[in-house]
Order: sequence, then C-alpha cells, then structure tokens
Amino acid sequence: MRAMAAAGSVTVALHVAEVLETIVSGCLGPEGRQVLCTKPTGEVLLSRDGGCLLKALHLEHPIARVMVACVSSHLRKTGDGAKTFIVFLCHLLRGLREITDKEKDSFLFENIQTCGRHWKNCCRWKFISQAFLTFQTQILDYVMDHYLSRHFLSIFSSCTKERTLCRSSLEMLLGAYFCGRVGRNNHNLISQLMCDYVFKCTACESRFEEVLEIVDDCFVELKVGVTGLPVSDSRIIAGLVLQRDFSVYCPADGDIRIVIVTETIQPLFSIPGSEFTLNSEAQFQTSQFWITERTKAIVKHLQNQNVKLLLSTVKQPDLVIYCAGLNGISVVECLSSEELSLIQRVIGLAPFVLPEASSQYELSHTALAKFCKPLILRSKRFVHLGLMSTCSFAPHCIALCGPVQGLVEQHENALHGAFKMLRQAFKDLDLNCVTQTSDQSCTSGPCIYKNSRESNELPKIVNSSIQRSYQDTVVKNKGELAKTQTNLKVCSNLIVPSVKLEQNVLCSTPKVAVTDSYQTDETLRCSSPNKGRIMDDHEPFIESNSANSKPENTRRGISYENLQVTKLARKDSILPLRYKSLETCTSQSYYSSSIPAGCVLPVGGNFEILLHYYLLNYAKKCQQSEQTMVSRIIANAILGVPKILYKSKKGNYSFPQVYVRALQALQTNQPMISNQTGLESVASKYQLLTSVLQCLTNILTVDLVINIKRQPQEVYDQDSEEEL
Amino acid sequence: MSRLEAKKPSICRSDPLTGERARASLAALKGLVTSCYGPAGRLKQLHNGRGGSVVTTSQSAALLAGLPVSHPVLKVLTAAVRNHVACFSDGGLFTAILCCNLVENVQRLGLAPTTVIKLNKHLLSLCTSYLKSEGCACRIPVDFSSTQILLSLVRSILTSKPACMLIAKEVDHISTLILRAFLLTIPENAQEHIILGKSIIVPLKGQRVIDSAVLPGILIEVSGVQLMKILPIKKSDSFKVALFCVSLSGDLSDTGEGTLLVSYGVSLENAALDQLFNLGKQLVSDHVDLVLCQKVIHPSLKQFLRTHHVIAVDRIGVSLMEPLSKVTGTWPIGSLGSISPSSYGSVKDLCIAKFGCKHFFHLIPNKTTICSLLLCNRNDTAWDELKLTCQTALHALQLTIKDPYVLLGGGCTETHLVAYIRHKTRNEPESVLRDERCSQTELQLITEAFCSALESLAGSLEHDGGEILTDSKYGHFWSVQANLPSAVNWPDLPSRCGCGLYSSQEELSWSFLRSARHPFPPQTCLSREATGSADTLTLDCFTAKLSGLQVAVETASLILDLSCVIEDTN
Repeated sequence: MRAMAAAGSVTVALHVAEVLETIVSGCLGPEGRQVLCTKPTGEVLLSRDGGCLLKALHLEHPIARVMVACVSSHLRKTGDGAKTFIVFLCHLLRGLREITDKEKDSFLFENIQTCGRHWKNCCRWKFISQAFLTFQTQILDYVMDHYLSRHFLSIFSSCTKERTLCRSSLEMLLGAYFCGRVGRNNHNLISQLMCDYVFKCTACESRFEEVLEIVDDCFVELKVGVTGLPVSDSRIIAGLVLQRDFSVYCPADGDIRIVIVTETIQPLFSIPGSEFTLNSEAQFQTSQFWITERTKAIVKHLQNQNVKLLLSTVKQPDLVIYCAGLNGISVVECLSSEELSLIQRVIGLAPFVLPEASSQYELSHTALAKFCKPLILRSKRFVHLGLMSTCSFAPHCIALCGPVQGLVEQHENALHGAFKMLRQAFKDLDLNCVTQTSDQSCTSGPCIYKNSRESNELPKIVNSSIQRSYQDTVVKNKGELAKTQTNLKVCSNLIVPSVKLEQNVLCSTPKVAVTDSYQTDETLRCSSPNKGRIMDDHEPFIESNSANSKPENTRRGISYENLQVTKLARKDSILPLRYKSLETCTSQSYYSSSIPAGCVLPVGGNFEILLHYYLLNYAKKCQQSEQTMVSRIIANAILGVPKILYKSKKGNYSFPQVYVRALQALQTNQPMISNQTGLESVASKYQLLTSVLQCLTNILTVDLVINIKRQPQEVYDQDSEEEL
Repeated sequence: MSRLEAKKPSICRSDPLTGERARASLAALKGLVTSCYGPAGRLKQLHNGRGGSVVTTSQSAALLAGLPVSHPVLKVLTAAVRNHVACFSDGGLFTAILCCNLVENVQRLGLAPTTVIKLNKHLLSLCTSYLKSEGCACRIPVDFSSTQILLSLVRSILTSKPACMLIAKEVDHISTLILRAFLLTIPENAQEHIILGKSIIVPLKGQRVIDSAVLPGILIEVSGVQLMKILPIKKSDSFKVALFCVSLSGDLSDTGEGTLLVSYGVSLENAALDQLFNLGKQLVSDHVDLVLCQKVIHPSLKQFLRTHHVIAVDRIGVSLMEPLSKVTGTWPIGSLGSISPSSYGSVKDLCIAKFGCKHFFHLIPNKTTICSLLLCNRNDTAWDELKLTCQTALHALQLTIKDPYVLLGGGCTETHLVAYIRHKTRNEPESVLRDERCSQTELQLITEAFCSALESLAGSLEHDGGEILTDSKYGHFWSVQANLPSAVNWPDLPSRCGCGLYSSQEELSWSFLRSARHPFPPQTCLSREATGSADTLTLDCFTAKLSGLQVAVETASLILDLSCVIEDTN
C-alpha cells in the first residue's frame, strides 16, 4: 500500500479535467465532430456520446475515474449531458484555482511549513466544498424558482389540464438533442424520424408518457439495424418486427389469432426430477403413440379455436412444427423474454397453459393481429406482426440503416438516449426552496418549525426580493402565512420517519438538512391531489411556476394527524392561485416549487446566460462572503459551455456579441432573442448542474489518494481519515 | 483459470486523417482497389503464409474479405464497402474508389469539415435526384419484351471480372445461361407480388466452361455406391414424394430432462426399428415412389423400401430442404407416427444424370420456379470467382426487376454526372448558397473536388496508360490507346464511347477528361432509337450503383468528420 499525497488536489483535478475537456469539446454542440473508437475485438464504433467516449478511454488516474463514475451515474438518470458535464466541471475547477492562486500570494509568508500548509489546504477545500453543497441545495433552487422560471417555455401546445404534445416544439427539442449526438449530415433525418415515430406510436394523444415509457424500456426490441444501406433509407415500419424467421409460415388473411406458449407442446417422456421406468418395448411404443396423439390433439384444438399464429419462447420439437404446418398455424420459436414481455405489454396476453384434458377447453388467452407476414430486410427474413394494441402504444418499429455497423449503433444509442431525455423532460422536478438559510442548525424536526418561523421574519438572503413582493401582495396573504405557520407547527410535531419521505423525493438529497426541508415540502404538497392541474396562462407559452402540476404525488402512510394537516393546508394552497402573474410565484414558493413537466428554453446557451446573469445579481445582494464567491465562480464557469458552442461563429454571432445582447435584453426586461431554432429541457440542465456540483464536492473533499497494488477484492473507499 | 488483469488505458489520437501514416495507408488502399477496377483491371493474389488456399481475384467481396486492415479509418471504409456488397453484390470497387477519392480530394482542400459535409450532401442529393428523374440521360428503362438489355447487363458484369478467365465465346455462353436461369425463377402466372424462385448453383470443377448448363428442377449429388443401390427407374408420368426432416435412423428422440429407466432385456433399438418399419409399411401402402430425408435413413429401412420398389435418398442437408419442398409440393414430415396424406408431393419425372465425373439424381418438377445452374470452370480459384460473379449477376437481375432501369456503364454515367453537376452549380448556385450558408468559393472548390473524384473513378477504368477524353455534347467517356504516333490527330480515333451508345461518326468535340473546360449542359433525355440501335451496351445495375454512390459519399463524410480516434489496446 502506498499513500500518494495529493497536495493541491484542485490543480491535479484541473489537469485531468482539461485533458478530458480537449477530447470531449471536439464533439460538443452542433459543430462537434465524430470520434472513432476501436474495440480489441476489431469492431469500430462511431460516437459523439460523451459517456461512451469516457468509458472507451479506460482511464487510470484516480480522479479521472471519480469523474467518469459521476458522469455515468448522471447519465443513468438523465441520458444526456456527459460532455457538458466535463466542460462545466473543468471551468469550475479553473475558477477555483484562480481564486486559490490569488490567496496563495497573500498568504505565502504565513505558511512556510509545508506540512502545515497541506492541512490548511485540506481544511479550506472542505470548507469550500461545504459552500458548494450549500449552494447546490439551497441557492440554486431559489434562483431557479424565483428568477429563471419566468423565462421558461412549455413544450405542451396548450396549458389546459390535458397535456398535448406540440409537434413543432417536439421537433425543436429533438433537433437540438440530435445536433449534439449524431453526425452533422444525419441529425435532421434522425430527429424527423424520431418525431414521426413518437406521433405514430401514440394512439391516444394525452397518454404519450406511457408510450415513451414502453419505448424506452423495450427500445432494443423496437429497432432493427440494417447495415450496407445509406442512412437515408431508414424508415418506420408499422407493426412489430421480430428478429427471427418463421419456423413454419402459413399465409392467412383477415384477423389472426395469436397464442403464446412458454413450454413445448409435445409432452416429454419425463420431466426434471422424475423417473420414467420402461418395462417393455410395447410400453415404449404406446407411450410414443400417446405423445404423438396428444400433440396432434392440442394442435388440432388450437386450430379449432381458429388460432393462426403460435409464438413460442422455447424450441418446439419437429412433430409440433409438422402438425402446426398441417393445420395452417404459423410458428415463431425461441422468442426472447424481452420480446415476450413487449408483446404482452402491447396486447395484454398471458401465455397459454396446456390443458390437462384437451377436449373441453375454452381458449381464453388469445389476441388478434391484423397481419403476420415475413419481412425481408437486406436479404434477411424477419417476422412482421401487426398486433392490435390494447394499450396506448401503437406498435411501430424503426429500421435504422447505415453503411457501417458503428454508425447504426450510434444512431440506436442516440435514439434510446432521446427517449430517456423525453421521459425526463416530461416529469416534474422538485426544487426545495422552503428552507432559506442557516443549514447548520437544521437537523431535526423541531428545527423546521424554527426555520419556518424564521422565514416569517425573512432572513437576510431573500430579504430584498421577498420583502418587496410582500409589500405588493394583499394583506390577506399575511394571514395565510400565519396559517401556514401553524400548519408547519403541526407538521413538525409529527413523527414521520424521514426514510419514508425520501421515497417521494425525486432529486437526490445528500444532506439531512435537505431531507427535512422536504418534509415540510412534501407534507404540504399532499394537499394538491384534489386540485388537479390549474395553470394560469397570461402569456402564451410562458408558464408561471405552478406548484400544482403534480397530482400523482400522494404519499404512502399518511398518519391520522397528517390528514388533519392536509385539510388545513388545502385551503391555504388553493388561495395563491387566485393571484395572478409573478406574485403567485413568490407566494407559492412557500408551499413548494418545482420545475413543471415539459419546461424548455431555446438552445444556444440561453439557460447558461440566464443563470449567469441572475447568479451575479444574487451575488451582489448576498452578504455572506463565501456564498458570493461560490456564486461568482459558478456564474462564470457556466459560461464555458456557450463559449465552446459559439467558438466557430464570427461577427455578429460570436459569443461576446450574443452575450452582451442577452444581458442588455435582461436588464431592460425585454425578451431574449435567440437566433437558433431548437429547445432544450430545463430539468435536464438543472440536474446536470446539481450532478456537477456534487461531483466537485466529491473531488474537493478528498485529501489523499491511496494507491493499492493488490488485486481488487472488495469495494474500497478512499476515506483516509482513519488511516492517519 | 483466467487471470484478472486491469485494463490498459486506451490510446487517443486527434485528427486521424492528417498524419503521414493515415495518408499512406489510404493511398495504399486506393491503389489496391483502383488497379482492380474494370474489365482491364489487374488481378490480386491473396495468400496466407500459414496455409489455406490461394485466392486470385479482382472482386471487392473476395479482396476485402481476405485483407487485414489495421488503420481504424480504413476499417470504417472497408466495412462500409463490405456491407454494401453484402446488400447489393455489385458496385463494391466503385464505392471504395469513390470514397477514397473523395476523402483524399477534400483532405487536400483543408476546408472546415462542416461546410464540406454539408456541400457534399447537397451534391449527392443533386446526383440522386437527377439519376431518379425522368430526364436523366444516363439511365435506360428496361424493356422486358426483349432480352437485349438484360443480356448486356449480365455480359457487362461478367466482363468486368477478369479473374473468371473467360474467353468471349464463354462469356456469351455463361451470360445466356445466367439469364435463362433467372427467367426460370420467375413464376408464370404472376399476381401483384412476384415471389421469385431460386437458382441453385451446382459446382462442377475441372470441366470446360462451355459444359455449363441450366436444368429445371433440382440436382441431388449421389455417390457411385449409392447409385448402384438405386433401382432402375420405372416409367411413369408422376412420382409420389415424401420428404422427411426428422432423422429416420432409429435413434431416440428427446426424452426430457428426467431420467429414463429401462428394465433389463428391453431393447429400445428394436422398438424404434419396429416403429420405422411401421412407417415404411405406411409409405408403401400410400404408394410413395420416392423417400427423401434431410438426415440419415436406417439401413434396414432403406433395404425394406428397396424391396418394395421405393427409392430412398438420405443426407440431403438443410440447404436443399426448402427448394425441395417447393419443387415437390411436399410438407416436410416431422413425425414418425401416422403421416397425413396431404404432406406428400409429386414430381413429373426422375432421372439419373451424369455430368463430368459426378452422378446426379435429377428431379424434374411439374411447374416450379426452381432451377439448377451447373457451373463449370477449369480450376478452383477461377470457379470460385465465376460462382461469385454468377451470384452477382443473378442478384443484379433481381434488383433490376424491382426497379426496372439500368445505368450506362463504362465510365459514361460518371462523366455525364460530372458534366451535369458542373453545369448545375455554375449556373444555379444561388439556391445552394442561400440554403447552406457558404461562400461561392467554397462551393466551387468542393464541387471541383467532388467532380474530380468521379472523374478519376472513371479514369481508373483505363489501366494501360491510354488517354481519356470526354465529348462536349453528351458528356460521355471515350478512351484512346496509349503511345499513339503524335502525327495522328487523336480525336478521330475513338470509335465508340465507354458504354457503346454513341459512335464517333457524329460531329463531336473532345477534350481531355481532367483538363480545365468550360462547363456545358450535357444533353438530357435519351432518345429511344439511340438505345435501340446499339446492340451491345455496357450497363450497370441501377439500384446497386445508386446505393453505392450514396454509401460512398456518406462514408467519406463520416471519415472527414472524425476528430479523434480512441484505440482500445486491450
């Protein structure tokens, strides 16, 4: 075992991040290029997917490995943003180093002893990381909710109760996504293909979320890769394509009845764990005769029930195939369990259980298909099924063509990622803005009570903004607040285990303090189910941040007292909805806040510039020095992404020009004009930000990396506190 | 025991195309494929020092399959070509050369990849929409009432593969055979969906090419020993056939996962044999004349069948099962128990034929779309090449039936396209410049790169140092012999253009292919009489060439778009 002192871990981390940045920034944005990965098996894979590249690098450096692990856990959650992650992290580290360099100069003479300096460094890093964490859990959400939310656009075409997808905005969202994911000459085609696919698969417009869920879960079964054809030959195929050929194909017209079996139809001599004793040759012959007759009887029975297609998860013996062919039943064998589960989800069909006595058995488990025929793609034969769907998903498949397998795979991955991204974009995302300050004391139940009382007194940070809004609001509001406070009192007396609550929390909550703040948050939101979605839209597209767009958030295990609270709370939370426009925003944030489903912003660094602007504003008002510093660092670092995006642009479209114009627009309260078409989801951007900040705190808190030469046996942690 | 080893970090290289190594390997590949192209292409001999057979070829399918490629960029290129060949059989070298040319030409320009890719895509769409348009002058609609065009297409494919080692007479013979074999696979009474049959290529090596033949029905090879056991075939107008897909060897079928306990003295073999004899009795009582089995027939059953004048042939193999069941109209029998009478089929005639030194059992069907192409060539390598060529030709014919057009071959399509693109981008550049946001110069440069890639592709048909000319009326390809005496006025020499459509009797003005010229509008709309007059044209498969063009440009864009290569060295 060897201890490797990681003095100045920021510098080291920055070096690592810079190397990764140079690789990744080449593929970032619409101008990004492709990367070719070769595998040891000789295959080649083309990719612009950050996660894929980082994995292919097989990095050895410990900090790099931490970063890659953070990126992949972020990707698992959202399916997008790996490249931006690295770029942003790199800029954050750069910002941190600049600050420390300055400090070093001034403190140089005080810390002459190197050992002592190292420890001081570590302490300071810990302190800074603490500040970052505070920022991530509190200030970020506050800024998002109070300032940025007024700029959000919605992807839904109308803000009524029924969410309907708007085709043009979906096209813009997907277009922007694929710009960063697939080659430049194909992204239009792929995003058009995906858009068509989503609309073709959605049988019922309001239930598109269900469709996205099925497609995301079963994407592997819903695509067919075809190599050797130009990409432009990719198309959508109506129905389901199974990647195997018929064992027997009997052409049939009209509706086709389907049966699924999971075992061989032909009975076997013996089942596992049993013993079959043969005493004479005659016995052998009779048992074989019986087997044959029974198989025939079952197949005949299926034919009598007008079954035309037999889907089997296992290989059926020759006899079954022969009998099925004679009786005009097509057979598809060896379906994978994934294919089976997809088919079952689409047609809601349970497998056929072999009857004990075949004569009197009514077949209940059948479904219908419109057609069932062989499909030839690139001289390979597939089974093509036109299932009649019983759910909101109308089955369609995508045939993806490309000259090389690597490109087809890239498109497959990009499409799969896009479905993941859409699923995320159509989910509400909770922000925690209830607690405003003093996280140190907020550790147990009673503290929430204290906290909320504090909020009545309006702590320093929110002081300026909220107090103003208070003066504007009607006096009634104050009365409501008092009521809320009583609610919170009740709430804090409840013994609700926080573990249970965490199940409801969507964002990850790394600190106890945050969980507690959710406690109030959640309890209060319990009131919302009855209200449904009420969205007050004054300007088309711009949605005020309503707390009520999350009706499905009923909580498990509400105690009796809790119900009382709910009743009380309901009255309160309906109230703010009567207010209009921005006042609603401020008063609502006391109850709960979230990024509503389908919130988007135009691409091209809009989100970054907005956040940059508001963070700087916030930093100016903020009194605590470390919060100011952290906000400044983040505000500056976040501009790194648009800087790369605009790198190749010249003249009026260069980054400084765009930036200045955007700031001017913000200062004069005019809408920001974006010269790019395309949208991106706010929720994914927000999640990216939090993931990066978590990764950063992760890196900063490590003071020592211990290099172990042994074979890895168990999961080891790098916590070196006990070692020293 | 496997050793657990930590993965080595990958090697990451940026800008994979600028290095000397990349340029050299790309040039090597280009030289390789260019020298194989066309009827005058040079042959390549692939041999592995560790053993295996030596392959002499000039086809991309055989060449790239045996060629180890180490550079990752070339891996992409060869994979694209091989996938194209797997889809269309034809046009592999065309795709490879065009892709290499494009990458090389664009690389030399040093423009931003974004612009290059955008404009290349635009030029490609210009080409494809022209080739698909009615006014296209390098596309001929196929007239199915005569065999002329189809025969020309097959001939062109055969002559472009010099490794088949055929002389002119043999080319004629083989191309008629291929066309006949193809025509036999078309069903007589076609509905809206034509389901083509199959031509089975039967190898007969060591014979003269002229001995090749096409026979309707299926040939099953039988050994001499087997032949002696087959009885003289009685005359009849129809033979009843049973086709088995289960083994008739008397072995036990799957008995399940549990244990099977057999008492002492019980012989399952006898029981199984009894079952087989029962089956035999049923076959005899059903008056079956011929029993075919995919797997093995037990000798006792064979003997039994022979004594009852039933012909039994076993070990047919899975590849012949589907055509056999089609030819005879049987349903492959998967049961040893009772057989449904509906699963029997029939053939019109049976005979034993001898070709070369091989004996075949010939099943002549009543009416089906299966035929056998008995292919002969002198040696193994040439036979392999010929077989591949025949498959290519049959596939090209199938594609032509789907999309009934052919393209002019012999380099004429390429030079004509070049003339069209040059003219189009020079005279109507406004739409491009507006849509793609690029400058006039960029468009000019990339059009030039694209066109010269196509021109040098056409130029690589010439391997003997000749000069290549193009006319300024049709934009066709004309080649002149090398080493001409300087006194001769060379434009008088070419008698026919590359595809053979136009002759030099017309008043045409020529210029060198790769020389600076003023863009001219090539004459569009092919006249009917022009296609009718020429008897032997050089033609290319439309679908394969169009897709090859698209794949080549797409792959080139892909390669040019690479910013770095990550090589996993584990």
